[in-house]
Amino acid sequence: MIAVRALARRLAVATLVVATIAAGVAPAAAHRLKLFLTTEAGEIAGYAFFVGGGRPDGVDYIVADAAGREVHRGRTDEHGAFRWRPVSPADYAVTVNAGDGHWVSGTVTADRLAGPAWPTEPTSADRAEKPASPPPEPTATPATAPATPAATPPRPSGIDEDALARLVEYRVDAALERRLRPLEEAYERAEGRLRFNDVMGGIGMIVGLAGAALWASSRRRRDPEEKP
Amino acid sequence: MAHIPDGVLSLPVLLGGGALAAGGLALGLSRLDERDIPATAILAAVFFVVSLVSVPLGPSSAHLLLSGLMGIVLGVKAIPAIFVGLLLQAVFFGFGGLTSLGVDVVDIAFPGVILGTLAAPLLARSEGFLAAVVAGAVAATAVVGTLACVALALALSSADYLPSLRVVVLTGLPLAVVEAVVTGFVVAYLKRVKPEILPFGVAGATG
Repeated sequence: MIAVRALARRLAVATLVVATIAAGVAPAAAHRLKLFLTTEAGEIAGYAFFVGGGRPDGVDYIVADAAGREVHRGRTDEHGAFRWRPVSPADYAVTVNAGDGHWVSGTVTADRLAGPAWPTEPTSADRAEKPASPPPEPTATPATAPATPAATPPRPSGIDEDALARLVEYRVDAALERRLRPLEEAYERAEGRLRFNDVMGGIGMIVGLAGAALWASSRRRRDPEEKP
Repeated sequence: MAHIPDGVLSLPVLLGGGALAAGGLALGLSRLDERDIPATAILAAVFFVVSLVSVPLGPSSAHLLLSGLMGIVLGVKAIPAIFVGLLLQAVFFGFGGLTSLGVDVVDIAFPGVILGTLAAPLLARSEGFLAAVVAGAVAATAVVGTLACVALALALSSADYLPSLRVVVLTGLPLAVVEAVVTGFVVAYLKRVKPEILPFGVAGATG
């Protein structure tokens, strides 16, 4: 048992040495690819990042439509960022493939891409083309449209009420998008952060497993001695 | 790079990796003597922590694996240690998927174990700087082996995921060098200070 303890102590020293070296070598922590995805005035924008630091630069990103067909493929810039304007608002899935087995994907829904940048009246052909993704206007406007006319003061004639409602909605969306972006980024970062508690929990788990194994083996060894 | 997420690998690859890992795990556990438990647990903890620390390298990021060191010190028993470390990383941090756990274990543990076992006679005879060089070579080759296994697993699943050679070389080679330095240093230190820790440390000793 003394030998085991000495062994454990020596290994603990070695562990410390290794950990110190590793800490010196590696300033950042952790390892997993994550994706921040947002929309800006009808564009899909965002960036991929490794948990703990580093952005995958010059790697492929692929935009696929709701049916899973690839509609666009590009390369991220040196900050791991990308930006692409789809032809029409629809549900899109963006996948970033870091090229070494790290791979992450996220989705953007059609209503986040809608705005006056699009043809104001979605044509029936557009609707028929994307049955999986309902055009945003009919679903989004009923909620806000009734409020808008009530809130506006008596309006001069000649202003298209629908166009105004759409414009207001678009501007509000854009402002919200701008305001929420830092929050969303912070959330993505926080979600991927390594927590010291988790690290210690993992180590505790390993110590517990070792203890359980030692306990079991010590019982196994003692049993034959006690019987006689 | 060795943590492959869920949903990337195809079912045959997952099943094959799982079967190999289960076999290795059974073998490792059967060799796990009571006296080996503390060393195995401590190296599992080292592996768990050290793979959390990663360096942003070029288009990707890399972290130490220490699979060469574990293969040298623990032999087959490195497989259960790495399995536990990977399982906890997957559960706590989402590094690597649970379904791809078997493949990850094979990717990381097997090269280190095989190379460590092969190099054991050579390490037993060498001393000082030579031992460090041999151990470093084991570690560097283990990293290359891990990269090759990951590439193979991805390529077998889908040509889309075939790792780009540029990324692998840019991140893999520096990692191999760092692993070699760390492992060489640790093994040479252990050989000088506490040779009985190493399975081949004392001349004539076995297991």
